[in-house]
Amino acid sequence: MPEPVPTRPQAAPPEGEARQRVLFRAGGFEPSAGRIAPWIAFAFILAGWQAASSSGILPALFMPSPAAVAAALWNQVTSGTLLMNIGYSVERIVWGWLIGSSLGLLLGFAMGMFSLARSVGLPIVSALFPVPKIALLPLLILWFGIGEPSKIAVIALGVFFPYIISTYTAVDGVPRNLIRMALSFGVPTGAIVRKIVLPGAMPGILAGFRITTSIALILLVAAEMIGARYGIGAFILAAGNLMQTDQLVAGVALLSILGLIIAFILGYLERWLLRWR
Amino acid sequence: MDLIVESVSHSYGEVTALSDVSVTVRDGETLVLIGPSGCGKSTLLGIMGGVLAPSAGRILTRGRAPEGCLNPLTYVFQDFALLPWRTVEGNVMLALEHHPLSAAERRRRVAAVLDLTGLTDFASAFPKQLSGGMRQRVGIARAIVVRPAVLLLDEPLSALDAQTRELLMEEMIAIWTRERTTSVYVTHNLVEAIRLADRVLVLSRRPGRIKRMVEIGVPRPERAAPEHAAELARLHDELWSLIREEARLADREIQHA
Amino acid sequence: MIRTSLAAAGLLLGLLGSGMPAPARAADAVSVAALHFVSSAPIFIAKDKGYFAAEGLDVEIKFFDAAQPIAVAVAAGDADFGITGLTAGFYNLAAKGVLKIIAAQSREEPGYDFVAYIVSNKAWDAGFRSVTQYPGKSVGITQVGSTFHYNMGMLAEKLGFPLSAVALKPLQSIPNVVAALKGNQVDSVLLPNNIALGLVAQHAGHIIGYVWQETPWQLGALFTSAKNVAKRRDLVQRFVRAYQKACADYAAAFLQRDASGKRVFGAKADALIPIIQKYVQPRPSRAQVLASVSYIDPKARLEVGDIYRQVAWYQKMGMVDRSAKTATMLDLGFIPHQLDMPRQ
Repeated sequence: MPEPVPTRPQAAPPEGEARQRVLFRAGGFEPSAGRIAPWIAFAFILAGWQAASSSGILPALFMPSPAAVAAALWNQVTSGTLLMNIGYSVERIVWGWLIGSSLGLLLGFAMGMFSLARSVGLPIVSALFPVPKIALLPLLILWFGIGEPSKIAVIALGVFFPYIISTYTAVDGVPRNLIRMALSFGVPTGAIVRKIVLPGAMPGILAGFRITTSIALILLVAAEMIGARYGIGAFILAAGNLMQTDQLVAGVALLSILGLIIAFILGYLERWLLRWR
Repeated sequence: MDLIVESVSHSYGEVTALSDVSVTVRDGETLVLIGPSGCGKSTLLGIMGGVLAPSAGRILTRGRAPEGCLNPLTYVFQDFALLPWRTVEGNVMLALEHHPLSAAERRRRVAAVLDLTGLTDFASAFPKQLSGGMRQRVGIARAIVVRPAVLLLDEPLSALDAQTRELLMEEMIAIWTRERTTSVYVTHNLVEAIRLADRVLVLSRRPGRIKRMVEIGVPRPERAAPEHAAELARLHDELWSLIREEARLADREIQHA
Repeated sequence: MIRTSLAAAGLLLGLLGSGMPAPARAADAVSVAALHFVSSAPIFIAKDKGYFAAEGLDVEIKFFDAAQPIAVAVAAGDADFGITGLTAGFYNLAAKGVLKIIAAQSREEPGYDFVAYIVSNKAWDAGFRSVTQYPGKSVGITQVGSTFHYNMGMLAEKLGFPLSAVALKPLQSIPNVVAALKGNQVDSVLLPNNIALGLVAQHAGHIIGYVWQETPWQLGALFTSAKNVAKRRDLVQRFVRAYQKACADYAAAFLQRDASGKRVFGAKADALIPIIQKYVQPRPSRAQVLASVSYIDPKARLEVGDIYRQVAWYQKMGMVDRSAKTATMLDLGFIPHQLDMPRQ
């Protein structure tokens, strides 16, 4: 434009002019989890679900009502099978998870620290990780029978591979400068693993806990496909076989509650172990 | 204890970082390594302390380490290298834990260096709770708790703000004067070099070679005195003229990392 | 798609060629949900030999891998007809008033091998040779409330031992059941004859009897949705007619016996085997087809009384809701003279 750029007039003393407030404009983008909101939302979902069922919009054929599900759960409580189902399942999850994760931890550490273990282990793990464990059930039955060992093996196998990966990644991510520092002070290898690598990898290891406990829960149903008489998974399977959808949803709800309890315990463990963060 | 660098060369793949460096760090002195970035000064420091294997040449020591020395060649790191899951006390303790000392002796030693570095009140704090200056004090405390023969400092103040740097420098001078520690100090800051050094080793840009050894003739405690100001200014200019052109080139270089 | 439209076109041409006036309406498109098993043979025959087309039906067969989804598919309206074994799950679904049984499928009929009692090598060596020895033994079955479960229940009632005396192991799939038998993890399993013969040939087990020898029963059925029965009766009738015609063909080919009672398979069987081989997966050999051809009533008539007995047993075991009414699950109006009619 040909016009000369107007020069800014020398600012007059501002007293005479109206003052304007600078408004806060950096709100949002800071999500935080509330305490009451989830309960209210949960209650609303339940109420909506029940209303849909009662009014017939949601036919019982496709989805049982919350009342029917609650009745199915209560039926289990009174018949005493609830505790038995939970007991068996928790035992399988605990053993399967302990075995799978401790072996995974060991191998993950080895792969995080030693070149040989890494170069051999990484392709093998990558190849075996995606194998669906349910497809291996007939083999697992031949190897471990149809008692507890095969059920525990299903869970252990499912936990094992992701645990190797998360441990290996966590160990690999331990800051090199801390290890170099320890080496420069002449700290022996064993002590470096114990005092530097293990605590340094702990956040990743705990994140692995969260993933693998969920996997253990998911695989519970697959594990209890192998001739289980009791267990939440066996209960869900039987309900599915018999097309008892209220029982089916009750079993799934039970699994969710178990998942929530485990998540709560892990959250507590995390806050305690990682209080230095 | 003297630390002797004997014809050390080092290369990272194709890139030669150091070429035939020989120098002797004399017992009790503070040797400052300066040079433009990428001249291999940190590499040389790593080789001196035995945490980096040189491509050629060797490192020797001469004489005895001081009484009670647990780790003759001890580093202080630019990034502090503190364990975030340990308290101040725990971080300092780490350096002692694998040595055959009684628990009481360990505690006594740690308490002594915490006192020396002004950290006693922070003994049970975690690193994330501390300012940068406090964190580096922990790094220094951890280094001196093992009574090193030679202290190897890798730009220990460069992550700190100017005021903290000033404070820490004064404290370090006080500690060194008391303990008579031998140190090798890497920096790119000429003011630090002139304040701390007995001798300044100027390295040339890649490949790092010894360009000049500059003696700072003024005794360290007297360097703040006005009558030495002119001399120190001259030394500053001398050092700057040695590295100015190369620093400019280094600044314009595209990183190959 | 191409095949069905060709078939429709062929039908149309045939009608035109015969000089008859072409009917105004096109063939009704219907679907039937079935398993890839030989027991679905009448459906394959009716389709392949044009019996459905002759009734003005364009039938699409939707294949499923298990009995349960077939019932669900018909209940949900994804398929018009279903043909498979009768399970507790089926009855629970039917009890909701959405399914109607209209004709028979396989039946455990004396003289016709179908489901076999098989014992593991270990149990055989330990002297397990007769069905009377079931108490105290472990038995691998596919699912809770499956036809195999019912078979054991019937056997227990016949021999007078409580079903709880047998340790039933639900293993969810046939491969798992086979693996459990091969690994001697269970004393016995129940499996269809063709699989049983295969296991015997591999020396993986021993057949100690067939279900027909102990407890003959109505194993499978053809069913449709309650909606079809109410609103499209004519269409259902036409479908059943074609199905019956195929059942008659099937019976003539596969259910013949000689004077001594031995089953014989002649030229009619040879004519139908390629049709069965076309639809059954994995493709069976001739011998496998012949080992699998179960008894199906030539007129597709149901053993109606047996359906009542099944529901009552499942209800007694707590597997089917007690409020379920068997009569509401049946529509016997499409086939005259059904068998074993309960007295009203």
